[in-house]
Amino acid sequence: MIPFLSQMQPEEFTRQLIEMNRKVIKGIESLGRIRDEDFQVGVTAKEEICREDNVVLYRFTPLVERPFPIPILIVYALINRPYMVDLQENRSLVRNLLKLGMDVYLIDWGYPSRGDRWLTLDDYINGYLETCVDAVRQRYGGEPINLLGICQGGTFSLCYSSLHAEKVKNLITMVTPVDFHVKEGMLNMWAGCTPGQPSLDVDRMVDAFGNIPGDFMNFGFLMLKPFQLGIRKYLELVDIVDDEEKLLNFLRMEKWIFDSPDQVGETYRQFIKDFYQGNKFIQGQVRIGSQLIDLRKVTMPVLNIYAEEDHLVPPASSKALEHYVGTNDYTVRSFPVGHIGMYVSGKVQRDLPPTIVNWLQERC
Amino acid sequence: MQFEGEPVATSWTEQAEAFTKAFTEAQTKVWQSWFELMRAPERVMPFSSGAVDQWRELASQGLKGWTAESEQVVKDVAQRLHVAQDTAMRFLELSLRAWKTVAPKVKSGEDWQTIFANYAIHLRQQLVPSSESDGTAKTVQDMAELWRLYQEEWQKLSQPWAESWRRASWQFGQAATGDGSALIKLTNLYWDAYERTFGRLMESPSLGNTRELNEQLLKGFDSWMDFRRASFEYQVVMSETWCRAFERFIGKLVSLSEGGEPIEDLRQILFLWLDVVDEIFLGVFRSEQYVRLQGRLMNTAMTYRVHEREIVEAFLKFSHLPSRGELDEAHRRIYELRKELKELKATVRQMYSLGEGPQ
Repeated sequence: MIPFLSQMQPEEFTRQLIEMNRKVIKGIESLGRIRDEDFQVGVTAKEEICREDNVVLYRFTPLVERPFPIPILIVYALINRPYMVDLQENRSLVRNLLKLGMDVYLIDWGYPSRGDRWLTLDDYINGYLETCVDAVRQRYGGEPINLLGICQGGTFSLCYSSLHAEKVKNLITMVTPVDFHVKEGMLNMWAGCTPGQPSLDVDRMVDAFGNIPGDFMNFGFLMLKPFQLGIRKYLELVDIVDDEEKLLNFLRMEKWIFDSPDQVGETYRQFIKDFYQGNKFIQGQVRIGSQLIDLRKVTMPVLNIYAEEDHLVPPASSKALEHYVGTNDYTVRSFPVGHIGMYVSGKVQRDLPPTIVNWLQERC
Repeated sequence: MQFEGEPVATSWTEQAEAFTKAFTEAQTKVWQSWFELMRAPERVMPFSSGAVDQWRELASQGLKGWTAESEQVVKDVAQRLHVAQDTAMRFLELSLRAWKTVAPKVKSGEDWQTIFANYAIHLRQQLVPSSESDGTAKTVQDMAELWRLYQEEWQKLSQPWAESWRRASWQFGQAATGDGSALIKLTNLYWDAYERTFGRLMESPSLGNTRELNEQLLKGFDSWMDFRRASFEYQVVMSETWCRAFERFIGKLVSLSEGGEPIEDLRQILFLWLDVVDEIFLGVFRSEQYVRLQGRLMNTAMTYRVHEREIVEAFLKFSHLPSRGELDEAHRRIYELRKELKELKATVRQMYSLGEGPQ
């Protein structure tokens, strides 16, 4: 007899099986009772400041009487929705920044339609982002503002800051890819950091799809950890079905994960070719509109925050920033979590907002 | 919900009890098969795949019934919960088959490592066809059958291309994850769509320019063949990876046991399996060979899609209907005009701010 087999007790396994099934059924029952209004996301009060095409600029209602004098504009990625920074009341980077006296703005890129497929990085960075920065500045006497760029939004913020340094007082980048040829990142490899076109012919893909479907993007992200994200997570779900709060948290996260806007074809093409495949960002060869992006022109103070266990943006990819920016005031901080943990981990939610606020206050 | 042989359940509690009972009975049968086989490996094991099917059916019914009125996110989560459970059951089936093959030899005193190594080779041979021609022959057979079925139903759908692509998009996902039947379905979809559209179109005496269309069709078919070859190569690697994962899983079980940490918990065994499979697959996913393989699968799929669209666009042109390409072109012109307008507005604003605007 193979040793491990003789040590299994069928009766005990059957008992466990019955217990697990009861939990599964209770889980389905609990799920069936939940309605959309039970797990709302992005609940912190906000007002629309301006709108251009699909893009909307919001200002969150301050929670203190006299907020910090320099506003902070959050620039999120085009992938997934920005309400991740305000997922729920007790897991909200936005809310925590507001509590600490910040005046917080956020860009919502919206859901691009097929008609938007020709938008380029130039339209996003020198167009929409510029419009939002100017709209915020206009409310504060035209003074430069603070930028907080997250993930791809961090890359956009770096591009913007190198082109319009005079409009950015301080720059914070969070889980931001900079060196796209770091091979620890499977996303980098799949997007073509090593063989280039043979691993992803992005021209052909954009020609075929127009805009890259959000579901297609999601499939790719799930394939990075297929069994953990596709199976284990749901087997573990049965353990929390008795806990309504945890179940609702789970559903909020699911809502966010699968709420994926399509990716604008031309922007996606340029981002994959220039950043992932060509790694031109750190070589000063990315062209936005008529200008080359030169990271040495990022001369304002920079706070670079990365996640130590990030499987989407490897730490080395973010940390590379210090070798390329022109600022003399560069700070780096890390947290022992993964990419998503930066938004939802209790410990990070406790420590990250004061890290940002203290750093900004020292540079007011 | 009422199951055969069960009294009519009137309340939620009764329904849940009835469901739990049936659900558990189905799964218990599978586990019992496992243990019976372990205890008496020399007997031919009457493994009941019907039990697994019964479980699937019950789970599916439960999901549909209890989340019928729910929001989409809830429905999706319930569905994924079901898939996760189903996958765990499939793992059990696979393990059972493996044990069924090797148990008699273990009983007769052979070394288990050698037996499992041989079993993995055997499994690999089963999963990975020896040559592509075997697969092609099977596909052709299936295609002919599907063509026949199609003949019976070809007038039912008003938009065959749209329908075929709607279906093809998820089948592509299946093909990518190693479900061979999805490839055959893709083949069928291609020919279905052809038959419902161009097959008819070509027979029309009023249509003159068929040579150009024929060329497009041939190109489309070539690109489809490329995609199919890439899918096959991808599946070979995926199948081999599954074999390696299974070998590693059994090895882990044994080493845990030998190290005095026997598996005593149902979830422990499932999660150990998931850990092992993730580790093995991620190792493959990181390799340059896999990156190229996945790239070829993706790139050929995209090429095929582009050719498909060209064919569809030709069809639309003949039917005096606007095509995707024409709409894209219109969007591009609108985009350029809007961009120009924005620039002009910005210039006017700047002129006003400098006092150079019209007084």
